[in-house]
Amino acid sequence: MELWRSRFGIPSEAFEGYAFHLRGNNVWISGSAELPDLRYETIGVRFMSTKGRVWKPTTSALQLFGGRATKNAIDLDPDQARVFLAGESQNLDADLENGYVVVSYRGMVLGCGLYSRGELVSQLPKERRIMSDKIENESFKGDR
Amino acid sequence: MVHLERYRDIVPDFESFVESIHRPLPATVRINTLKTDRDDLLRRLSEEGAKYRFVCWNPLCLRIDLEKPGNLIECLMGYLHVQEEISMVSAVVLDPRPGESVLDLCAAPGSKTTQISQMMENRGSVVANEPAVNRIPSLRSNCERLGAMNVAVTRYDGRLFPRHRFDRVLVDTPCTGQGMARKDHSVLSRWSLKRSLGIQRLQQSLLRRGVELTRPGGTIVYSTCTFAPEENEAVVSTVLDRVWVETVSVPGLKNMPGLTRWDSDYGDELEGCARYYPHQNDTGGFFVAKLIKK
Ligand SMILES: C[S@@+](CC[C@H](N)C(=O)[O-])C[C@H]1O[C@@H](n2cnc3c(N)ncnc32)[C@H](O)[C@@H]1O
Repeated sequence: MELWRSRFGIPSEAFEGYAFHLRGNNVWISGSAELPDLRYETIGVRFMSTKGRVWKPTTSALQLFGGRATKNAIDLDPDQARVFLAGESQNLDADLENGYVVVSYRGMVLGCGLYSRGELVSQLPKERRIMSDKIENESFKGDR
Repeated sequence: MVHLERYRDIVPDFESFVESIHRPLPATVRINTLKTDRDDLLRRLSEEGAKYRFVCWNPLCLRIDLEKPGNLIECLMGYLHVQEEISMVSAVVLDPRPGESVLDLCAAPGSKTTQISQMMENRGSVVANEPAVNRIPSLRSNCERLGAMNVAVTRYDGRLFPRHRFDRVLVDTPCTGQGMARKDHSVLSRWSLKRSLGIQRLQQSLLRRGVELTRPGGTIVYSTCTFAPEENEAVVSTVLDRVWVETVSVPGLKNMPGLTRWDSDYGDELEGCARYYPHQNDTGGFFVAKLIKK
């Protein structure tokens, strides 16, 4: 939680009413209601990956809470969004600290990027990458 | 069409019913209020020049003028979810409230699970049960994409789901799918009475377990996307000793009452169920029963 506050300026109040648990290489976020005593496959949504040295926010979590970020967040233009969604890296001059950043397009959070020395590396997992020729919106059409 | 002939006497305006089956289904999406709100979403679509129409019974459902609405960036990012209009009726009738404890007994791929979750504003809990291992990933990824944090996934055979008392239970069983004919015509030729009767046993057991898993006074919704009374009223009629049938009527959506008899007497209560025919609302076909546990 501390990371969300220090890195993105998201207050811990944003997570009130939710519960967290550690399972495998992930922290999961779920409702705080008590669950019946059952054998669960999964509870809630993946929130952070604990694999790396620095815990990494998941795409799902950023899409839900990243909109409240006051720093280390960037809104891309359509061309840049295309590159990001395809899972590729791009050079980008922006007011960001090195490390994980919230990446959005027209105010809609797309996911997590890794920013370092002028380069934005898309952290979208393979299954959530999207090639622009697959996107229906007019703004993503046109040649690249 | 030979398999629809058996419904000639129960479907009003039978000719346009048959004719409607040949028309493709309008593409529809549900606005996911866990990630956006209606005004914001409509503004986005308008700015992009996407064409859509409202439906009169559900403010969160849009008919959208696109071949593949699933490829809209708003869908990919979970602001919208592609879902057949009439299938949105189950959760609306279930009417889950924030903070309640809800079971979705046959959940994958989770269209109704996530709709329930959004109606509960991510508060309380939804247990989404799906025994088919290969269908869990679609259920999981829809919950992740749509941000349904109050959902927990289990993998029991619904007939053997462990004892508990939920406030509301949705029993959206496997069925012969005749109501999906506008999407996939082959469901009609594949239908046989034998198939309906074969699947009826499973449906009865699932509904019976669903009723047992509901607290007294709680709500059970039973739904299918088929016309066959064998899979609908005949199934509901087997739990009448344990439930009251509440009349389903959704303002803005035309329906026919449930059948009180077909090959046998089902009981007058069954009239409270709702049959949705494709030509009446320009949707797929559907059946919904709302039951209150005694
Ligand atoms: C009509 S689909 C459910 C659709 C889902 N409610 C939705 O809205 O996305 C029926 C589901 O029941 C599952 N099913 C099959 N046998 C079952 C059983 N014995 N117990 C529980 N679910 C079962 C199927 O695998 C299938 O995913």
